[in-house]
Order: sequence, then structure tokens, then C-alpha cells
Amino acid sequence: MSFVLPSRARRFFRLALHRRDRLESEVDDEIQFHIAARTDQLVRQGMPPELARVEATRKFGSLGEARASLTYSALRRDRRVRFREKLEAAAQDVRISWRGLRRSPSFLAVAVLCLTLGIGANAAIFSVINGVLLRPLPFAHPEKLVRVWRRGAVPPGIYLLVKAQSRSYDALGGFQDARLVNVTGAGAPSRYSASDVTGNLFEVLGVRAEIGRTLLPGDNNPGRDRIVLLGDAMWRERFGGDPGIVGRTVTIDGVPRTIVGVLPRGFLFPSADVQLWTPALFAPSDPYYWWGRPLRLVGRLASGVSPSRARAEAATVFARARSAFPMRMADDWGSDVDVVSLRESMVGGARSTLLLLFAAVGLVLLIACVNVATLYIDRALEREREIAVRAALGAGRGRIAVQLLSESLLVAGLGAAGGLALAVAGVRILVAMLPPGTPRAAGITVDGRVLAFTLVLAILSGLAFGMLPALRAGRLDVQSSLRKDGRTGDSPRRTSQSRMLVVAQVALAVIIVSAAGLLLKSFWLLRQVDLGFDSSHVIAAEIPLPSFDRDTAARAPTFYDAVLERARSIPGVLIAATTSAVPFGATAFPAAMEVEAHPTPPGGEPAMPIRTTVSPDYFRALGIPLLRGRAFTNADREGVPAVAIVDAAAARRFWPTEDAIGQRIRYVWMHDWITIVGVVGTVKRDSLSGAVQPSLYRPMAQGFGEEMVIVAKTTAGARDGDVTSQLRRAVAAVDPTVPVSDVHALNGLVAASASRTRFSVVLLLIFAAVALLLGATGIYGAMTASVSRRRREIGVRMALGATAESVLRLVLRETARVVVLGMLIGIAGAIASGGLLRGLLFGVGTVDATVLVVVAVLLMLITLLASLPPARRAARIDPLIAIRSE
Amino acid sequence: MDEPMSLVKGTLDALVLRALTWDTMHGFEITSWIEDRTHGALGIDDSALYQALHRMEERGWLVTEWGVTENNRRARYYSLTRAGRAHLAAETTRWVRYAQIVTAVLTASPRGT
Repeated sequence: MSFVLPSRARRFFRLALHRRDRLESEVDDEIQFHIAARTDQLVRQGMPPELARVEATRKFGSLGEARASLTYSALRRDRRVRFREKLEAAAQDVRISWRGLRRSPSFLAVAVLCLTLGIGANAAIFSVINGVLLRPLPFAHPEKLVRVWRRGAVPPGIYLLVKAQSRSYDALGGFQDARLVNVTGAGAPSRYSASDVTGNLFEVLGVRAEIGRTLLPGDNNPGRDRIVLLGDAMWRERFGGDPGIVGRTVTIDGVPRTIVGVLPRGFLFPSADVQLWTPALFAPSDPYYWWGRPLRLVGRLASGVSPSRARAEAATVFARARSAFPMRMADDWGSDVDVVSLRESMVGGARSTLLLLFAAVGLVLLIACVNVATLYIDRALEREREIAVRAALGAGRGRIAVQLLSESLLVAGLGAAGGLALAVAGVRILVAMLPPGTPRAAGITVDGRVLAFTLVLAILSGLAFGMLPALRAGRLDVQSSLRKDGRTGDSPRRTSQSRMLVVAQVALAVIIVSAAGLLLKSFWLLRQVDLGFDSSHVIAAEIPLPSFDRDTAARAPTFYDAVLERARSIPGVLIAATTSAVPFGATAFPAAMEVEAHPTPPGGEPAMPIRTTVSPDYFRALGIPLLRGRAFTNADREGVPAVAIVDAAAARRFWPTEDAIGQRIRYVWMHDWITIVGVVGTVKRDSLSGAVQPSLYRPMAQGFGEEMVIVAKTTAGARDGDVTSQLRRAVAAVDPTVPVSDVHALNGLVAASASRTRFSVVLLLIFAAVALLLGATGIYGAMTASVSRRRREIGVRMALGATAESVLRLVLRETARVVVLGMLIGIAGAIASGGLLRGLLFGVGTVDATVLVVVAVLLMLITLLASLPPARRAARIDPLIAIRSE
Repeated sequence: MDEPMSLVKGTLDALVLRALTWDTMHGFEITSWIEDRTHGALGIDDSALYQALHRMEERGWLVTEWGVTENNRRARYYSLTRAGRAHLAAETTRWVRYAQIVTAVLTASPRGT
């Protein structure tokens, strides 16, 4: 025969073929026996033997059919029995494993604890990633939804044009960023977040109203726009969940609007705080039609259109739209238009933080697995004899390997159970810690996907640390193991394996600790940033304008002056002032301006200073230094020449060679020039890490009647709570319809701006601490085991004259060699993975010598601490006992 | 000798179980036992008997074991399990009731009493 199966393939088939053959031959035996017995009977009755045999066969009936049917039923029976055997074997494996583990409770406890920490941290972080990054948006066919122009927004006039000229979308809608509004009528005046949207937004998102209707495309037209949609939360809280709400009226910023519907509970768009949706007004006569209150665009892609095709189209549509503005736009307006999936645009900056944390917990789990693997190496040593006995008694190598693997899977399973419990508790803490404004934080829970993830993690880690002992069992030399007779000598392979594991552990720990170090240093540097103002003992309270009729502009300063007047007399308040935008509070907007001395060239970018209106005492209240010229006075009112103050950055930018004082500037849309009368220090505005932007300050009395924030500098001893309630009373005394909602210590606002960094720093520090703890136990365990394996060798050394001190040095030197190697690999890894941190760091590069040195010293110290006890134990070995005991 | 009667469906199982009530038997002994009791009046196909045996083994009514006959031949011996015994009891009751009803109908005078 020329065809021979390879031996491995033959072995695969052998058992199966063999079993079928055996069953078939048994069936044959039974039939043959029957026919023989029948023949004997017929012969006894007097039939000649030849005839008897033929008659017996005939009487049996269809032989072939019987054979096939009997073999088939035998096979079925056999299969069932074997399945039950397998189940029983598995149950027995688990039972044996459990008994074995119970015999070494400290091993079990340490291993399960390590895995609980590792798996728990992973499950918790994965819950957040699942909730924020992976969960689909709660809209119809969310994969078709895209954000158009992530960094920009367009006025209604341009929106209509872009919508008419784009072919890529089934529908293209728009929404404004949330803004706070006064809600009056039906209950106490209060503040809610509102968003002006296009009528088709709900069609774009595929969302229906819970009660009533959503907005319709025609609702943006003048005359039909005085309607509003409520969010579920506001409907319940302010209207008691009234099912007959549709048709009732609610007054928003003084404008009565008819309620047309209530949106479902889970609808959190464009952000979780919005509870009012009103139609944006599409009236060419409206000043906002071409500028101000721009719409961000969201579209539903037509079938078959990819985001990249939509983006290509948007590039040409936006280029055309630029010339549709009644005023000349900068040449590069809209050139950065992009089309990305809505989910991606909502997740934004959270992604990099979460992925970094995910990588960090991944490392923690790896360290935990390495730790458990180290424990297993020593356990395998103890168990070698047990395994050898079992092998000698006939257990196959595969069977033993499976048994060992089942033990590690059991350990991993216990760790996963603990980890899941840890995750359930941890997720709650994590959600509370999340930086404010984290998108989709409400949906973070331990759900089925997290459970599945944890299960997979448990199996993977069980395989990861169980492979080594299982493989070793397959190689075990039964004879020599049994002959060793319980003697524990050092095997070079085991030592090198355990050293490798320590190297891996140290390397992983270095990576995670240095990442934590870099972030910590960033955070520290952020705290050192010079704000340009003094945020201590300053309270900032948003005071909305009362709902005047349309002549607000003139009356606003009067209202705020009255409030200031009363605020100044509050005990504990040193200085009270107003500003349209407090640093680190609501965003202040830039205004396009023309500098008289340096006119903007056609198509060029105009001067765009951040514009703030302030009362005269504002600079004193925040301790912003007046560098040149004068501050505002009460004489800077309407009717006198318009004045402004710029900060040092604006003075440098707009008048690089001249003295800014006496220069003139004007809004591009206004005719009147404004004279610069002073220069103040530059302040940080909305982030500690951001670059400063040039600023322009205007006196409140010459402003547009904007809403103001009161800033009150208090004495060091004044209690914020007292001042706040006095402030509320002062506002109520001037106008009882004005709600005072957002009151903050300015310090708190500044600290909150670093909350994302703080969040990552705190978590990474926790993970780094866990990593170090695990690493230290790993090193301690490995060194203890190594010393006990080398008892005899050390005993001999000491008998030959080695001192306790030299033994101590010997052990420490061994540790140091391993740790330094691990550290070098870890530093290389830290440098290679530094890219993950980009965007989260401030003031430090992804490689920082100080951080690396500190990490190295820290790890050296910890290693020393962890290996000192085993080293001391080695030094105390009594050579006589050590040598004799073997 | 009359032509053997064909078996009413389901009765073969009951007969086999009955044969095994007192003793373990191999297949040929079971056939002989039934043939002796019925004097060959029931036409039982040997192959059908074995298929019934294997089927009942699958259902857990019978267990088997290889043994040696008095003539030193290797044979497969069948014995009853607890489930098999229970099935036999149920089947016997059912059969007796069935026979009584059918007999009563067939032997009663057409006019009734």
C-alpha cells in the first residue's frame, strides 16, 4: 500500500475507528451466537446439520438490516455513555482541583486576590469604555448619523444653503450649544438648559415624542417658532408629569411658548443637561440669520454614502457657501469641514483618557497573571511528586495537563467572581469620579457585555498562568521525580523561568508607574500655572437678567448696579463687581474687530480678541494688575466716548510697535471707534494648559445688556455659604423673579478645569500602586522560593566559610540583576508606549528623565524591601541543619 | 398447525420484559421462553426481537453483560432494571384492561342484557 496516513493523523482516527469496529463485532457475535443456538436446537429436533443452519438463518430474518440497526443503536448508546463520562471527569477535575487548592489556602488566597484586583480593575474600566465608547447611540440606525464640521457651526442662512446643496444626506439638521435660560410662570423662577434646533432634528435622529409631537420642519419659520419641547426630567419635576401638558404655556427668558410635546427619558441630545428644545428662528431679517447663535450640523447619511464621500461634497458646498455671507468671510472659512460619525464626535476627548486607563489595567492584569504564574512554579515543585505518582499509576499526560489547567481555570474563575464584585462597587465610584461633562456617563453599568468580557478575561488569564505548569507536567520525567524521594534541589530551568517572570513583572510595573509619574508631573505643573488673577476668596454667581421687555440694553446696567450696591454691603464682602464671563466659567466669545492702525487685508483674519464686559471694580476684585493707563470708572457710561481696556497679550498682538493707550478699535459690524484707555495683565481663561488669548474689556455701562456674573472678593474669614445666601437675598430684594442658580468659589472652577487630568492621575496612581504591590509580592515570593530551593547550596557555602553578610549580598545581588534587567526593558517599553499619553500631558514630554529616575529609584527601594526578608532568612541558615536535612 | 398470528404492536416489549422477570437470559433463551409459552403460535421474527432488546436497552429498561453459556459459548445476557420492571407492570395492567374491554364487547350478546 502506498498511501500511509501521517502518524499524528492516524492517532487521531485510531480511537474512533477502533470503537466502531468493536461495537460492530459485538453485534455480529450476538447474532452469530443466536444462529448457532438455533441450529443446535433444530439439529436436536432431528434436522440434518446443513439444513438446520440454513433454516436458522432464514428464521432470523433480514440479517443486514438487523446488523445495521443494532450497530446504530449500540453506537448511540456508547456516545451517550462517553459524554456522561466526560462530564463526570470534568466534575471530578474540579473536585480534585478544589481539594488540592484547599490544602494550600495561602496559595489560593494570594492567587485569587491578585486576580480579583487585576480582573476587577479591567471589568470596571471596561464598563466605562462600554458605556461611553462602545454602546450604540439611542437613535434609529445610529451608524448612519454623522456630525458635519466638528470644529465649526453655521448661521441659519448658511445652514439652509448647505442643506439645499448637499446630496449626501437623507436629512441634515442643526442644533445650538446648550445655554441657560430663565423659566418663569407655573412655579418659582428657575434656570434650565435649552437648545435651539432645526425642526427636522428629530427626524434626523429618528426620535419620537413621548407625548404630543416633536418639532416639524416648518416650525423654524417666523410666527410658528414660539413653541417648545420638554425633556422628561423637567416635565416630571416642574409639571408633575401632567399627561395633559400639551398646549400649556411656559415662559422662557420672558417669551411665552406653547408646549407641543415631551421627549422620551433617554433623550440626552445635544448634551445631558438640556431639558428644553426650541426652534431656531429662520428669518432673513433676524440679526442672527447671518451671524451669532450658529448651528452645529448633524446629518443622516443617505444609503450607500460613506462619510468620506460626504466630506468631499461638504468641502465644495462650504467653499461656495462662504461667498453667500453678506459680509466678507476669512478665506479659509469652512476649510476644515469634516464629516465624522456622531458617536465619535460625542465621545471626543474622553477616548484617549479611557484607552490609556484600559492599557494601564491591562498591564495590571498581566502583572497579576505573572504573579500567579510565579506562585504556580513553586507550587508545581511541591506537587511534582504527586503528579509523578499519578502518572506512575497510569494517568495519561494529557489527563494530568487537563487537570492542572482545570485547576488554574478554577482559580481564574474565583478571581473573576471577586473581580466582578469589585467592578460593581468600583463602577459606582468611577462614575462619581468622572470629570464633569464626560459624554454618556449616565449609561455606565455592569451589563451583559461586561460579564462576557470578564468571562473571556478569566479564561485567558487562566490559560496564561496555567499553561506553564500544564506544559511542564507533560514533560515530567516520572522516574527521576519519584527517585528524588521528596528532595528539593534547584532546577536551573525553574530558576530561570522564575527569574524571567520577575523580569516581566518589573518591566510591566515600570511602564505603568512611569505613565502615572508623567501624569502626576503634568498635574503638578498645571497647579503651578500662573493664572494672572487671584482666585482665592472669590465667589462667582451667575445673575440672569430679569425678563424685561425689549429695551433690556439700557436697563441691564441699572439692574446690575442695584444688585452690586446691595452686594457691597454684605458683611464679609470686600469688593463686588460684575463680568460677562468669569475665567474658567462660561465660555467667553471672541469678537471680530478692526484695528485702526493696522486694517485687516481683504480675505484675512480680523483681530479676534475675547470680549468681556466688566464693572469698574472687576480688575481689583480679581487682583488683575493694571499695567498702564487707567481702569474703568463710573464715568464710562453710555453717551460718553466708548472706551476699552486690553490685556498685555492683545496690546502686543495688535500694536506690536506702538503704545496701545490712545489707539482705536471697532467691531467689524459697527461704525463707532473705541479708544483704548488701559492695559491690564493677561489671564488664563478656560484651561490651565491652553495658550492665552488676547482679551478686550468693555465697561458694563457701555455694553449690550448682557447677562452678568457677580464676583465677590470676601475676607479670609467669611463663610462662602453665608455670603451666598446673603447674595441671593440681595438679588431677590432688587427683583424677586431672578433665579440665582450657579454659585461657585472661583477656586473650585479653576480646579474643575483640571478634572480630566486629575481623574487620570488618581486612577493611574491607584493602578500603579496596585502594580507595585503585586510586583513586590511577586519578587518576595520568587526570592523566598529561590532561597528555600538553594538552602543546601547556601549551607555548603557557609560551611566553606561564607559569612552571613556575604550570603545576604549574594541574594540581594541576584535580585538586583533581575530587577535592573526588568527595569531596562520596562523603560524601553515606557518610551515606546509614551504615545498613548500624548494629549494628556502638560509641560512634560512623553519621555521625562526626572520621572524615569524617580521610577527607577522607587522600584529599587521596593525591590530591596521585598527581597530583604528572604535574604535575611538565607543569611540565618544553619549550614549543619541545611546540609543534613537533605 | 395454524399459520402463526402476527404480533399486536407493542406486545413484544411486554413479553420480553416478562421473560426476564425472574432470571437474566441471552437472546436465544428469551425467544425459546416465548416460543415455549405460546407453543409457537406467535410469529416472532428473530431480528425484530434483537432490535426490541437493543431499543429497550437504550431506554434503560434492560442492562446487558457478556457471559458464557453452559456450552462455553460467549453470549450477551440481558436483565431487567427497576425502570424496566415498572414499565412491565404498567404495560401488563394496560394490556389486561384492553383485553377485558375488547373481549367484553366481542363476546356480549348483540342485544345486550
